[in-house]
Parts: sequence; C-alpha cells; structure tokens
Amino acid sequence: MSAGEPLLEARNLVKEFTTNTGGVLSGKKRAFRAVDDVSFAVGRARTVAVVGESGSGKSTTARMVARLMPADGGSVLLDGEDVTHGTGAALKHFRSQVQVVFQDPFSSLNPRHTVDRIITAPLDYQGMGVPGGKRQLVKGLMERVGLNPDHSGRYPSQFSGGQAQRIGIARALAVKPKLLICDEAVSALDVSVQAQVINLFKSLQAEDGYSIIFIAHDLAVVRQIAHDVVVMNRGAVVESGTRDEIFDNPTQPYTRSLLAAIPTINPEWEARRRVNEQRERAALT
Amino acid sequence: MPGYILRRLLGVAVILFLVSFLTFCIFFLLSPDPAVMICGKTCNPARIDQIREQLGVNQPFLAQFWQFLSGIFAGRTYGEGAAAIHCAAPCLGFSFQTNQSVVDMITARLPVSVTVAVGAAVLWLLIGISAGLVSAIKAGTWWDKGAMMFALGGISLPNYFIALVLQYVLVVQLQVLPFPSTPDFGEDPLFWFQSYIMPWTVLAFGYASMYARLTRANVLDTLGENFMRTARAKGLPSLLVLRRHALRPSLTPIVTLFGMDFAGLLGGALITETVFGLNGVGKLAADSIGKNDQPVIMAVTLMAAFFVVVANVVVDLLYAVLDPRVRVKS
Amino acid sequence: MNRTESKARDDGGALLEVRGLTVTFGTPRGDVDVVRDLSFTVDRRQTLGIVGESGSGKSMTSLAVMGLLPKGATASGSIRLDGVEILGKSDAALRKLRGNSMAMVFQDPLSSLNPYYTVGLQITEAYRAHHNVSRKAARAVAIEALDRVRIKDPHLRIDHYPHQFSGGMRQRIMIAIALCCEPDLVIADEPTTALDVTVQAQILELMADLQAETGTGMIFITHDLAVVSQVAQDVVVMNGGVQVEAGSTEQIFSAPQHDYTRALLAAIPRLDDDLEELKMVGDFRTGATR
Ligand SMILES: Nc1ncnc2c1ncn2[C@@H]1O[C@H](COP(=O)(O)OP(=O)(O)O)[C@@H](O)[C@H]1O
Ligand SMILES: Nc1ncnc2c1ncn2[C@@H]1O[C@H](COP(=O)(O)OP(=O)(O)O)[C@@H](O)[C@H]1O
Ligand SMILES: [Mg+2]
Ligand SMILES: [Mg+2]
Repeated sequence: MSAGEPLLEARNLVKEFTTNTGGVLSGKKRAFRAVDDVSFAVGRARTVAVVGESGSGKSTTARMVARLMPADGGSVLLDGEDVTHGTGAALKHFRSQVQVVFQDPFSSLNPRHTVDRIITAPLDYQGMGVPGGKRQLVKGLMERVGLNPDHSGRYPSQFSGGQAQRIGIARALAVKPKLLICDEAVSALDVSVQAQVINLFKSLQAEDGYSIIFIAHDLAVVRQIAHDVVVMNRGAVVESGTRDEIFDNPTQPYTRSLLAAIPTINPEWEARRRVNEQRERAALT
Repeated sequence: MPGYILRRLLGVAVILFLVSFLTFCIFFLLSPDPAVMICGKTCNPARIDQIREQLGVNQPFLAQFWQFLSGIFAGRTYGEGAAAIHCAAPCLGFSFQTNQSVVDMITARLPVSVTVAVGAAVLWLLIGISAGLVSAIKAGTWWDKGAMMFALGGISLPNYFIALVLQYVLVVQLQVLPFPSTPDFGEDPLFWFQSYIMPWTVLAFGYASMYARLTRANVLDTLGENFMRTARAKGLPSLLVLRRHALRPSLTPIVTLFGMDFAGLLGGALITETVFGLNGVGKLAADSIGKNDQPVIMAVTLMAAFFVVVANVVVDLLYAVLDPRVRVKS
Repeated sequence: MNRTESKARDDGGALLEVRGLTVTFGTPRGDVDVVRDLSFTVDRRQTLGIVGESGSGKSMTSLAVMGLLPKGATASGSIRLDGVEILGKSDAALRKLRGNSMAMVFQDPLSSLNPYYTVGLQITEAYRAHHNVSRKAARAVAIEALDRVRIKDPHLRIDHYPHQFSGGMRQRIMIAIALCCEPDLVIADEPTTALDVTVQAQILELMADLQAETGTGMIFITHDLAVVSQVAQDVVVMNGGVQVEAGSTEQIFSAPQHDYTRALLAAIPRLDDDLEELKMVGDFRTGATR
C-alpha cells in the first residue's frame, strides 16, 4: 500500500463465533466466521479506513488488531514483529504503541472519574514517568485536542458529545502511541462536531505522524480522512487500495453499490451556493 | 426441542447426583455415630456392633453411598436373615428416631407443605403483581409511595417476627382465629382455612413485597420502551396498550423468579411451619435437625434440591415458550 | 385495498398547519422551552423536511403534533389538521386521529416493535383500532400492507416476530403499520438513521413510491442534510428549538441565508471534495472552538 516497511500489518486474521441456529431449544450450534482471512497494512503517518455495512466484521477486526480479543487465526505485526500472542511486558509495550478510541464517547469514559484521572489512566497502567509532571501533560493534551485545560477537574457528563470524544482522544494520546484505532469514533457526532473531530485527527497526524486505523460505515467521512481504504463485506475484504482508487475507480460491484447509495445534494445547488458565498465574501472585503 | 429437554434432564441427574454425594459426605464426616444414638441408654458394645452391621455403617464410605443410591432406585435390605428389614424401591432409609420409613414420613407431610406453598403463591402473585402494577402506573403518587413503603416493610421484617405478631394479635388477643394445627380439609373446611390463612399471609407478605417492587421496576422500564410509543401512535386505547404491550414484557422475567421461589417453598417453609405448628416438610426438617436424625435430613435436603433443579429446567422451558426471541431464531 | 377517498377533504387548504408551536418542559429549575414559536405547513402529496442537529427539538415537534408528548411537557400554539384545531383535544379524540388520520414512523425499527408479538398482530391491531372488522379481514389487510412495502411471502412473514427480520425489513414493517389505515399525514422521525446506506436508499425509494401512490402529506425529520435535500420540497432548519430558516429545498441548499445553515452545509463531508473551511463552524451548544 505505501512505500517502506508498514507500521502495522494484519495477516489473514480470522475470528469465529459459535451461534445457536434454529433457536436455543434446538441446541444446534454453528461456527460462523465474523472475520474471514482479513489482511491489510498500515503505513507510517497514514490513515487506513476500514469500511463496510454493519455486521461486516469491522469492529471485530479492530478488536483483534488492538489485542482486545484473541484471533482464531492469522497474525498481527507491529514494526515487523509478531505481536499476536505476546503477554506480560510484550503486551504492555504493545499497548503503549497502539491505542483505541471508541464510538460512544460517554460509555467509554468512567463517569465517576475526572478528566484528569481518565487521561492519565493509561500512563498509570504503563507505569510511565512523566517529565514535567502529570498536571502539565494533561493540560498540554487537553489543549492539543481543543479542550479548555482549566476543565481538567470536571466529569465526563459535564461535556458535550464532541468534547467527550476529545477526552477519549486525549486519553489515547497520553502514552504517545504510534497507532490510533478509531472504531466509529465520529459516527455518533453531529455533522459540525464530526467535521471538527475529523480535522483534529488530520492535524494530529500532520504534526506528530500518528498512523490511524479509521473504522467507519460512512464513506463520505472516510473520503475526508483516509489515505488507504479497505472495503469489507460479510467478514471478508472485498477490495482495498488508495482512497482515490476506491472512490474514483472501484472495481467491485459491492463497492460501487455502497458508493451509489450515499445520499448527495444536487450538485447544481451546491455550485450555486458556493458561487453565492464567494460573491458575498468578495463583497465584504 | 426434544433433544434439548433430554440434555437438560441429563443435567438434572448429574446435579442431583452431586448434591446427594455432597450431603452424604457432610453427614458421613460430621455426624456422631448413628449406632450410638439408636442404641440409646441401655447399651453395650456388642449391641452397637450389631446395629452398625444392620445399618451398614461399618462399611467404607463409597460402599455406603452406593447402597444409599441403589436403595433409592432398587430398594435395599437392612440386616440379614430373620432380622432383615426390607425397604421398597424409593428407599431413603428409616428414621433413627421413630424407625418409620423416611419416604412414608415425607409423603405424609408433603401435602401440608404443598398447601402452604400454593396458597401463599396465589396470594403473593395477586397482591404483589397488582400492587406493582398500580405503583408503576401511578408512579410518584401517594398510591405508589404507600405501596412501596408497605413493600419495604415486607422485605425488611423477618418472617418469624411477622408470624409471631400475627399469632399473638389474632389468636391470643383478639381470638378471631383458633390456635392453628394441621387439620384435614374434608373434616372441617372452616378450621382448615383458619389454620392456613396465617401461614399463607406471612409467607405471601415477604414475597409479595419483593414481587411488587420487581413488577414496578419492570413495568416502568417497559413503559419507557419505544414500542409503547408506537402502540400509542397507532391510536390503541390506553388500557389495551397497557394490557397487551406493557404487561407481557414486564411479567415474563417474573416467571423465572416465581418458578424458583415456588420450588423453594415446596421443599418446606421451615420457620413458618414451625411457628404455626403445621406438620409439613419444613417442620420435619427442623425437628430432625434438632434430633440429628440423619436419614430424614438427607432425604429432605435431597427433595428440596430436586424441586429446585427441576424448577430450573421448567422455568427455562417456560421462558422459551413466553419469549419468542428465545424460542425462534432469526 | 383500493385507495378510497382521502379522509380529509381536499379543498385546497393546507393539510397540516402549525402556528407558534411551543413545547415546554416543567423542570425543578423552572420551565424550559425545547421548541419555541415554530410555524410550518404541510400540503397533501408534499414532503416537509425538518433538519437540525441532535437536541434541536425535532422529535418534540413531531410528538406534539401526534399528541404524544412525554409527561411533563406541554404544547401551546396552534396545530390544525385539515383545518381542525387538534391541540388541546381530549386524548380520546386524539386517539381517533392517531394511526388513522396521522401516523408515525420512528427512528429505531427494532425497539419500536414489540418483540413479544408477531408483526401480523402489530399491523392488525393498528387497523382494528380504527376499523370494526374481523380478525380474518384485518389479517388480509395486513398481508396486503406487507406486500405493499415489498416484503416477499407476506402470507408467511406475517406470522414472524420482529427479530426475525433485518433492520431494513423492520422499518418496512413500521411503514406498513403507519400506512395500513391510509393516513393523510405521515410523520417520519429519522426513519433511516439507524440503517446502512444501501438500505437507507431502498427505504427512501419505497417511501417516495408509496407517497406517490397514496398522496399522503409527509413530515420527514432528519439530521442528514443530504437526505432531506432528496426527499423534501420544503425545509425547516432548526437549532436550539427555534426555526433558523425555512423555505423551498432548492432555496435552502442553493442560497442559504442564515450562518447556521451555511455552517451546517459546509460541515457535510463530501464525496467529490475535501471539507470546506471549518473556521466558521463552532461547537454550537458549548462554544468550544479549535
Ligand atoms: N461477541 C460476539 N459473539 C457473537 N457474535 C459476534 C460477537 N461480536 C460480533 N459478532 C458478530 O460478528 C459480526 C461482525 O460484527 P462486528 O465486527 O461488530 O461488525 P461491524 O463492526 O462491521 O458492524 C456480526 O454478525 C456480529 O453479530
Ligand atoms: N423529559 C425531558 N425533560 C426535559 N428536557 C427534555 C426531555 N426530553 C427531551 N428534552 C430536551 O428537549 C430537547 C429537544 O429534544 P428532541 O426533540 O428529542 O431533539 P431532536 O429530536 O432534535 O434530537 C433536547 O434538548 C432535550 O434535552
Ligand atoms: Mg462496529
Ligand atoms: Mg430526535
């Protein structure tokens, strides 16, 4: 996908769940592949988007990559090293390199902890010392993600959805990871807030070179943030490529149908609106 | 479905086996020598040996356990020759105290416990569920507050306390009820009813309180569900909305609880039966524990376990019947 | 089911006319207006779109029209359905209208259907609430309703439970329930928000087809500007309970007058271009900026 050795590689990941078919009473169990032979690579300072409809296995893939769920097959390589089964110190190191931001900002933040404590929790887990002190670090991080640093003593419920998501991002950044995994991190947000958070991710990446796995079902959002795109359907990769390859020249009918279904505003109206706005701005100056 | 039931029944057998093994272990390890107990005051070592021989308690642990188990299914014979006593198929041994067959003792008392359980259950379901319903629908009003205060009392006051107070007030002071005993319905229906009404009430009070609180919580949850809004948006009459859409989702989980509670009571309401002098299985258990009558304690324990384990299966099946999401898969 | 005369007289007057609608919640800290002085009209065969971000009062508006506001909320102003004032009508009178003259489709189709009953029962009860017919006759209506929302094998599917359907089919069932009494007005509150895009496209198409067939007036509520631009002839943009801007869809999307509308339009991620400048978009409810 990208030149040079990728930061992270997922190779042939498989996850099976057993389900009851025909009702609990019949007791017939069947293994079902939620993730079936999924491979992709994430380059340094690049964003790989994993897209697909609900139930296509995006979250399960993310969980396996983040080592939040054991894989039933395949492997995960970070910096060329197999990290699929590492435990103890190896796992701890992995967690300092890879952090996750979840969809629902509120349910992924402990409502009884202050922002201060939430953001430093991964540091405590890592047992990392902080030069300059934790207070300073929290303030710095809050500023970076666009929160008022004076609010570090507040609780999650005192923030709006967009702000809560920023807290989640600040927490992920605390241990200075190399890779952020964002599972539908902007899906629950209103469009204006969503746009802000997308821009936040982009500027963080531009400044500090994070790699990002961006999981989303909204292709228009993905179009704004991704360098590379992996399209999933029923647990398998349908096609993958650079953003422009996927959006401009999709080869698979499934990808095409996804793209075709996105509602769009009449382009003529759009063009007129922009012309109008430019004219007004010109008139102002 | 038949396969599922079969597997569940197999599970029941395994659990009952383990329970009996455990109870047997406990009695084997902890109780004093039964032969000494039976032998009584006029005793000598030879007699004790003889009794041990007859009971089979001189044999190793596993052999005793095996005899106990096979006795249940095939019957067993105590002693040999002329002194031999045969105990027919569901054999749970003989009481050390009265020498009666344990199975006979239990079957004689089971109807009393069943009467207590059924009567109480009817009362507590009626009162508990309707109180919970009213509380939920009139949430925040004095109806609700009153009912919930009452329920709090039912949950916090111990059974025996209520039983003693009731007995003191109604029987001793006001004398509106006779002193209860264990009557026969056929002989004197009025006395039968008067004797059972207090135990029913006492048991029902505690359970009804719990069920009222649970029903209230469930109904309140259900009232907040989106499908309730859909039902109202259809223009259905409010009573139909409640009866059809709120009741079933709210009460289905209560079925589970009821099954377990009822089965627990079938094993004997120890305290209530004792306080009111009802000769049920609970009182039998209390008496035998006091007198260390091992075979009876064993049997009562096993029976209680049996009811609970079977109820567990029945409740699971019932749940599947009541909740289509469990019954039919997408 | 042949399409009978519309229950409302088609005399040229607006189907729904809302004037100065205010919805107030009494809270311990005083009254809060979650909708303030809102006015709009819906015509027959027309779709009015209401857009706004979460918490802007869209759902409260629709519930006020249906007379289904939650406890603690009161509506004032005027709501006229086919010329008749319905705000302040008794619940019994409103019940005759609900499901019959005006019906609703909700956001989350799974939780909006009762998991304990077959979809057949949930459709027939809606029909029987307003028609004195036998179970059998109602069942025939329900089968036809399922057929109309393009569910295959309706005579078999009618006996299935909600969880046995996919998300898109559940929303079709909700639509079948809403349409079975042939209402004059359908209010759809975020009907496609919980669905995948491909399914959303199918549902939108279905709703458009059915509207063309039956001529119902519709209020389509959504936070998705692109969706509303496709389905509505007129649009009301809401923010914080008040109307920010209203007009024909073309007007709103090609020449928005209000800064808020412009900011919203600029924030939509697009397929053909990068995000427009975002400086003007603040976090409206919190004032946070970056
Ligand atoms: N813990 C689990 N047990 C059983 N099935 C699961 C579990 N987690 C996910 N699934 C199933 O795996 C499939 C993929 O789920 P998921 O990865 O969450 O999809 P996505 O994130 O793309 O919506 C779905 O069909 C889902 O029902
Ligand atoms: N029970 C309630 N008590 C007080 N405020 C409420 C209640 N329910 C909703 N609200 C408020 O009403 C406002 C409008 O809500 P709603 O109409 O659901 O918004 P939308 O549908 O546009 O997302 C929100 O700010 C919400 O906080
Ligand atoms: Mg997911
Ligand atoms: Mg809403």
